[in-house]
Formats: sequence, structure tokens, C-alpha cells
Amino acid sequence: MDGLSPIDGWALLAILAKAAGYAAALVAMGGPLFVAVFRSAPGDVLRVARQLAVGAAILGLAVLALRFGIRSARISGMGFEGAVDPMMLGLVWDSPLGTAALWRGAGELLILAVLIEGTIGLTASLLGALLVAVSYTLVGHSLGDPRWLLAVLVGVHLLAGAFWIGALAPLHRAAGLTGGTVLLHRFGIIASGTVAVLILAGLTFAWLMIGSFGGLFGTAYGWTLIAKIIVVTGLLGLAANNKLRLVPALASGDPTASTNLRRSIRMEIIAVALILLATATLTSITTPPVNL
Amino acid sequence: MKQIILALAAILATAAAALAHSKAEDTTPAKEATVETVEVIELRFDDPMRVTAISLTGPDGEMEITRETGLDPVTEFRAMPPEDMPGGAYTVDWRGLSSDGHPMQGSFDFTVAD
Repeated sequence: MDGLSPIDGWALLAILAKAAGYAAALVAMGGPLFVAVFRSAPGDVLRVARQLAVGAAILGLAVLALRFGIRSARISGMGFEGAVDPMMLGLVWDSPLGTAALWRGAGELLILAVLIEGTIGLTASLLGALLVAVSYTLVGHSLGDPRWLLAVLVGVHLLAGAFWIGALAPLHRAAGLTGGTVLLHRFGIIASGTVAVLILAGLTFAWLMIGSFGGLFGTAYGWTLIAKIIVVTGLLGLAANNKLRLVPALASGDPTASTNLRRSIRMEIIAVALILLATATLTSITTPPVNL
Repeated sequence: MKQIILALAAILATAAAALAHSKAEDTTPAKEATVETVEVIELRFDDPMRVTAISLTGPDGEMEITRETGLDPVTEFRAMPPEDMPGGAYTVDWRGLSSDGHPMQGSFDFTVAD
């Protein structure tokens, strides 16, 4: 298998922490985006979006600190001792992760402003979401060539992903409310556009990383990407079923629709968790075929 | 939850089952080479690499090596081996940070023949 780094316990821990960081960042970014787009949503639903974004932002800050320790341990080869070694932590701070941490930390702190109702709080938290998206363009595979294009693709991919992932829990709440149908229907219409952007940006980025059809098969990066795409396809199937079948059923007063829709959204959340694990694997222990 | 754990196990098992293979960088002594003496230990990288840890394991366990290269990112890393290297199998293990921030690691073996 080409382009797979050695895997030890610390590498697995790094993948799990990175995936948790993705989840926290996307939910934190998604909260303000949801509130901005659906200002007229039921108060209950907006409350879920706000509280979840704040919880995710705080979790994101904690995960960021944890990831510094994990990375120090990995580069030192000293295990736990290396995780708290000031010199190793300093080297990580001097690396792109240090720069990204400043942007991501600032962004996650700004997202806390989503709790302040009104334009100022919302604007600050949207700026926070943008800073978090930018932070991910400052590390890893997006530092390749063409630099500006890769950065834009990652940024757009994350914002579009955050809009979807951040909306799942609020929509789960809306599916249980009598007045939630209008919101669910509107989300379906807007998401058709944002999901297309999400996938287009992701596929373009992947194509730039792989460079040839052959690179998809026979490399660790390619296989991991295939695994990710399979789960994404399943997620799209769930989303399409929600939009075309379950939401209309809910609107027409079908008594089982609410339960079915809520179950379907919970399955979407599980699929998202798997996608984030695959993505963390992709960005942690595999080398893009163009670099092999 | 159960589905998540199962799928996670599947992803990780696939990754772990694959033979780990880091990018082949050029080294002195060359990988798998048999040499009579070791003047220097060198690692050459395509992109600047900050070598954060390096160790040499010989037939009698870990041995002291003296880094010539500091902790700056370099494309050529040098370290001096111990004066006395008995015949046998040796392994160099290194860890580093690549310029894009990825933690990297690798190792290579060589043999000293008396």
C-alpha cells in the first residue's frame, strides 16, 4: 500500500482527536450559519442551534489543546513525556498547526457570541465561523499547489459542510414540532444548492490531490477517499429521502412521518461521524498520490 | 453507537492491515546496505523536514549518536555515529515535522560487516 504512514496508538489517538475537532468546528460554524439563514425558525429550534454551537466551540478549544499534546508526543517519540515537553510543544506551535490554532481559537471564541441575540452577536459569530474555515486552509494538504485554489476549495467545502452538519440537530428538533414543516421544507431547498457546492469543491480538491485515475486505486489516500465517498453516497440517499418523501409526508399530516424523519436525521448524524473519521484518516496518515 | 464503533473498527483495521510504508527518502548508509564503516548518518528529504527525534539501535541496543543538524527544517540531516560500531544489524528510527505540519516518521536498516 503506497503512501501510508506507520500507525501506532498515538497515530490512532491523533485521528480520533482530529475527527472530534472536525465535528466541533463544523457544528460550531454551522450554528451561526443556521441562525443567519433561518431567522424566522421557531424559538425552540434556534435555541438548539445556538446552544449546540456554543458547546461545540468550547469542545473545539479543548480538543485543540489536546491535539497539541498528541502531536508533541508523536514527533518526540517519547510518548506521554513528549506530550508535555516544552521544546516539542514549541516546535508544534512553530508549525502550521500553531498558526491554524490561533485562527481556529479566535474563531471558536467569536462563535460564543451567537448566544447574544441580535445583529451584533450574529455578525461576530459568523466572522468566527469564517475564521475557523480559514484556519483549516493553513495546514496540511491544502498547502500544496495550486495554493490559492486548494485553500478556497477547502474553505468553501467546510462552510457548506458546516451549514448541513450544524443544521441536523436543530432540524431534528423541528421534525418534532407542529410548526416545523415550513423550516424543513426551506432547508431542503437551500441544502440542494449548498450540498452541490460541497461535493463539487470536495471532488475538485480530491482530483487535484490524486492527479490521475490510477492514483485512486492502490494508494492509501485513494482507498480512504473511496471509503469516504461510499458513506457520503449513503448520506445523500438519506437526505434525498428526507426531502422528497418524509418532509412532504410530514406536511400532508402523515402520523408516522415525524418519527421516521427524526430517525432518518439521527442516521445522518451517524453517517457524518463516519465521514469525519474517514477524513481525519485521509489527512493524518496518508500521502496524496500527487506527492508520491 | 454500535454501528459507529463497528464502522470505526473496520476503517482502522483496513488502515492497520496495510503494510506501513513511508516515502522512500535517500539515506547514508543506504537502506539495507552492508558497510564496513559508518562515517556519517544522513537523511535526505524532498521537502524541508524538521527532524525532531533520531535514534540508532545496534546489535547491543540503543547507541549514542551526535546530531550535527539542529532543529531547523532541512533537506539534508546529518548525525555522527559512535566511534566504535561492532558488526551486526543496525536500525535508524527518526521522527519529524514536515513543512505542512504533518508529523512524519521513518526507519531504515543497515548492516556493519567486520
